[in-house]
Amino acid sequence: MGASSDPTQDGSDEQQKRSEIYTYEAPWNIYAMNWSVRRDKKYRLAIASLLEQYPNRVEIVQLDDSNGEIRSDPNLSFEHPYPPTKTIFIPDKECQKPDLLATSSDFLRVWRISDDHRVELKCLLNGNKNSDFCGPLTSFDWNEAEPKRIGTSSIDTTCTIWDIEREIVDTQLIAHDKEVYDIAWGGVGVFASVSADGSVRVFDLRDKEHSTIIYESSEPDTPLVHLGWNKQDPRYMATIIMDSAKVVVLDIRYPTLPVVELQRHQASVNAIAWAPHSSCHICTAGDDFQALIWDLSSMGQPVEGGLDPILAYTAGAEIEQLQWSSSQPDWVAIAFSTKLQILRGTSSLLGHKGEEG
Amino acid sequence: MATGLQMEGRVPENLKKKLALAVRSIQWSYAIFWSISATQPGVLEWGDGYYNGDIKTRKTIQALELNADQLGLQRSEQLRELYDSLAAGEANPQSRRPSVALSPEDLSDTEWYYLVCMSFVFNIGQGLPGRTLANGEPIWLRNAHFADSKVFSRSLLAKTVVCFPFLGGVIELGVTDLVLEDPSLIQHIKTSFLEIPHPIISKKSAGAGNTRNDKNPACAVLDQDNLDTKLVPRVQGEELDMASPNNSSNGFEPNQPAEDSFLVEGINGGVSQVQSWQFMDEEFSNCVHHSMNSSDCISQTFVEPENAVSAPKGELVNDHCLQDLLECNHTKMCFLDLRSNDLHYQSVLSSLLKSSHQLILGPCFQNYQRESSFVSWNKKGLAHCQNPGGETPQKLLKKVLFVVPRMHVGDLFDSPEDNGIKDVVWRPEADEIGMSNALAERGQKEKLNERFFTLKSMVPSISKDDKLSILDDAIEYLKELERRVGELESSRELTEVEARTRGKSQDSVERTSDNYGNKKTDNIKKPLTNKRKACDIDETEPERNRVVPKEGSTDNVIVSMTNREVLIQMRCPWREGVLLEIMDAISNLQLDFHSVQSSTAEGMLSLNIKSKVTFKILFVQTDSLHSTIFKNIPSSNQNPT
Repeated sequence: MGASSDPTQDGSDEQQKRSEIYTYEAPWNIYAMNWSVRRDKKYRLAIASLLEQYPNRVEIVQLDDSNGEIRSDPNLSFEHPYPPTKTIFIPDKECQKPDLLATSSDFLRVWRISDDHRVELKCLLNGNKNSDFCGPLTSFDWNEAEPKRIGTSSIDTTCTIWDIEREIVDTQLIAHDKEVYDIAWGGVGVFASVSADGSVRVFDLRDKEHSTIIYESSEPDTPLVHLGWNKQDPRYMATIIMDSAKVVVLDIRYPTLPVVELQRHQASVNAIAWAPHSSCHICTAGDDFQALIWDLSSMGQPVEGGLDPILAYTAGAEIEQLQWSSSQPDWVAIAFSTKLQILRGTSSLLGHKGEEG
Repeated sequence: MATGLQMEGRVPENLKKKLALAVRSIQWSYAIFWSISATQPGVLEWGDGYYNGDIKTRKTIQALELNADQLGLQRSEQLRELYDSLAAGEANPQSRRPSVALSPEDLSDTEWYYLVCMSFVFNIGQGLPGRTLANGEPIWLRNAHFADSKVFSRSLLAKTVVCFPFLGGVIELGVTDLVLEDPSLIQHIKTSFLEIPHPIISKKSAGAGNTRNDKNPACAVLDQDNLDTKLVPRVQGEELDMASPNNSSNGFEPNQPAEDSFLVEGINGGVSQVQSWQFMDEEFSNCVHHSMNSSDCISQTFVEPENAVSAPKGELVNDHCLQDLLECNHTKMCFLDLRSNDLHYQSVLSSLLKSSHQLILGPCFQNYQRESSFVSWNKKGLAHCQNPGGETPQKLLKKVLFVVPRMHVGDLFDSPEDNGIKDVVWRPEADEIGMSNALAERGQKEKLNERFFTLKSMVPSISKDDKLSILDDAIEYLKELERRVGELESSRELTEVEARTRGKSQDSVERTSDNYGNKKTDNIKKPLTNKRKACDIDETEPERNRVVPKEGSTDNVIVSMTNREVLIQMRCPWREGVLLEIMDAISNLQLDFHSVQSSTAEGMLSLNIKSKVTFKILFVQTDSLHSTIFKNIPSSNQNPT
C-alpha cells in the first residue's frame, strides 16, 4: 500500500480503474475451474459443469478488457464425458508449448486449444492396462516445474504419474489404504496426497518404496478431501477435512502436528488456494459463502483465540471452487452455484513483489 | 434531498446545480452550502451539496442512461439518501439496502468524508463555516488535514478548504490537493456560477442546450473558460493547467481520442472551435450512447438476478466519461498520505454514525487505490453471514468425490438392456447402446473391443461374434470351470485322506498320471468320476491342516514369471507319491509345462517346473498361482517367500 503501489508504476493501470468484480453465469452448476497461465491469454479461465449425467460441458471464458464482460467462446466450448473433477491449464507462462487443458474424470484427458479456435482431444490416458476399470479420478495436479508430468489421484487407492508428452504411465503407486481424494506437487519429483484414510502422505519419486505420513486426521478415518501445497514455500501445505470448518496447515518438517488451524469459517470449507506470489498468504472458501484471505506470517507463534483472517469476501452462495491466478496474482476466481466471479484486489495487501517478470 | 427541499426558503433553488457547475469547473472534490438551520436558529447545518470526487462503484439500478450532469447530481442525492438512512440508525444493514441506491461499501474515501460532513452543525463563529459567517470574509485553509481541530474539526481528506459567505449561509469548497490561496478563484466562482446565474445561462445557451445529452462535463468547463476570458483571466490559466492532466488520463480510454483532441483544440483555439467541438461531440456522444445503451441492456438482463449485490458489468460503460474526469482527482489522491488519518477518521465516523460500519470503513482505507473486492475481516461481519441450514456440508465437493466416481463405474455395471443375466459384473454395452450420440469415447470403445476380442479367444465354443454371446459363453464357461474346480478339489481331498491312511493310493496315482500332460481342453470336458458331497470335503479340511505344521517348516514355493516363461520352484520333504501329487495339482493350473526337473537330497524334494506363458497365465495373478499350488499340494505349508 501507500507509495509503493503507486498505480502509475506498471502498465496494467487501465484495469485498475474498472470495477473489481466480474461475474459470469453459466447454464449449469460450476465445479471445476482454472485460470489460464499463459501470458498471451490474460483473464482466461476454464469452467466445467457438474451434472450428474454422462454429457457434461467445459467452457473457456475470457474477460473482455474493453467492456468488462466475461464471455464464453462458443467455439471453445466442448462436451465432456462425466463431470470433470478438476481442470488445469498447462503451466506454461512463456507460451512455449501448445495451449493445453487437462481434465480428470473417468480418465485423464488432455485437450488442445488450437490457434484456429477449436478444442480437440489430444490424448486420453488410461492407467490400468489390465482392466477397463481405470479407477475414476478424483483430482490431479500438473507439475509446474516439469510440465510433462501430471499426477492423478483415484478412488482405486492409487496415484499415477503420467508423462503426457509420451502419453505413458511413468509410475503408479498404491498411495493409500482408501480412496485418494487429492494430489499436489511440491517439486519436480515430490508430491503429496490426501485420502479417505485420513492421512496426508508425501512421496518422492526417487524412492518409490516409501512414503511419509505427515498428518493424520484426529478422528480416525475422517477423510481429507483437498490438499494445497504452498508453491512459494514448499515447507507448507494445507488440507481440508470432510465436514469441517477448519483448514489445517502443515509444516512437512514437523509431521503430525499442524502449525496452525484456520477456524474462522462458519461452515465447512470447500476450497483452498495458496497465494501464487507470497509465501504466507492463503485464501480459503466455504459453505458460509465466504472467501477469506489469511496472513500466515505469524505461523508458529501462538495467537490467542486463534488466527483471524485479514480479508473477507461474501458471495451469493456456498463457494465451491477457488483459484488464485498465478500469472496475475491480483486476481482470485471463485465459483458458486452457476456463477463464476473474478475478484480483483488481493495484491495490494501483498505489495508488488507478485508481478513477476 | 428531503432536507434540501424542506429548506427551500433558505436554500436557493437550483443551488445544487450551481454548486455542481462551480465545483466541476475548478475540478475540486465537493461543494457544500451551509445554511442557517430552520429548527435551531443561529446554527449552520447542511443545506445542500455537490460531490465531485472519485467514485468507487456505481450501480446501474435503472437502465436509463444519464449524462455526466445527471450522474453527478444523482450521486450527490444518493449520498444524501444514504446518509439519511444511516442517520436514521436502522440497526440492520441488510434491511436498509432495498430502499437506498447506495450501500456503505460502495463509497470511496472522499465520499465518506462528504457523507460525514452532512452530520456536522456549527454555531456561528465556530468551525470554519461558522467563523466565515461570523466574519463575513472568505477563509482559505490549506493543509486542512493538519489543522487544529478547533479550526477545522473535520480534518481529513480535504487538504484545501475554502469557505465564503453566500446568501446568508456559507459555501464550502474542498479539494484533496493543496491549492494556493487565490481570492480570484472565489470571486470567479461567485460571479460565474452563484450570483449571476442568468448571464451564464444565456451565454451558455449553445452549450447548455447540449448539457442534457452531453456526456462530458469538460464541455461545461470550456464554456466557463469562454466566460472567464472576460472576467477573470488568471483563473483561466489555472483551469487550463487542470485540464491537461485530465487529457492525459483521458488517453487511457480508447474510445475517446476524438474528444480529447477536440478538447485540446477547444481550449487553445477559442469560441468558434469550441462550438464545432460541441457539435461533433454531440454526435459522438449520441452514438456512444447508442452503443452503450444496447450493451447496457444485455448486461442488465444477464446479471439481473444479482445486480444489486455484485457490480454489474454495464456500469463501466456508463461511467467512462465521468470517470475520466474523476481519474484526475483519483491520481492526485494517491499521493496523499491518508493512512495517518485513518484512525481519527474512523473514530469520527463511527461515533457519528453510531453504527457498526467499521467493517465497511476498513477496506475503504486499506485499499483506497486498488478498490479490493475483499473487505477487512471482522467478527461482526460474520453475524449476518448466511449459514445454510440443513444443507449437506461440502455438497458439491462430496458429489465430486463420492458420487461422480461411482458414475463411471455405475454406467458399466448397470445397463437396462441385459435383463436376463444376473451374474455379470460389468456390461460395456452400455457404452454403445446407452450413449448413441457422438459422446461415446473413441478410446474406451477401442479398448473394450480389444478386451472382448481377448475374452473371445479365451473361451472355447463361442458361437457368435456379438458381445452379448461372448459374455454369455464366458459366463457359462466360468460356471463350468468353477464346477470343475470344485470337483477336482473334492477328489483331491479324497486322495489325500486315502494317502494318509493307507500311505499310498493307487487310484490317485493312476489318475494323476492320466492327467499329466493332458491338454487343458481335455481336462475341461472330461467328466469326473469321483464325486463327493460337500460335507465330506469339509470333514477332511481340519485333518489336512493338522498335518501341515509338522512337516512343512522348510517348505518353499517360488513362482516367478519372466518374459515368456513361468518358473515354479519348490522344495518339500520327500515322501512316496509326493511328486505325483504335485504334478496333479499343477496340472489343474492348466499350465503348458515343457520342462520338469526334480531331485531329492537329504529327504527334501526340489522341483523346478517351467511352463510357457499362455493366454491363461496372463490372466492368472502370481498370487493365485501361489494359492492354487498351496491349496493343491498337501504336504507343503503356506509360507511363500
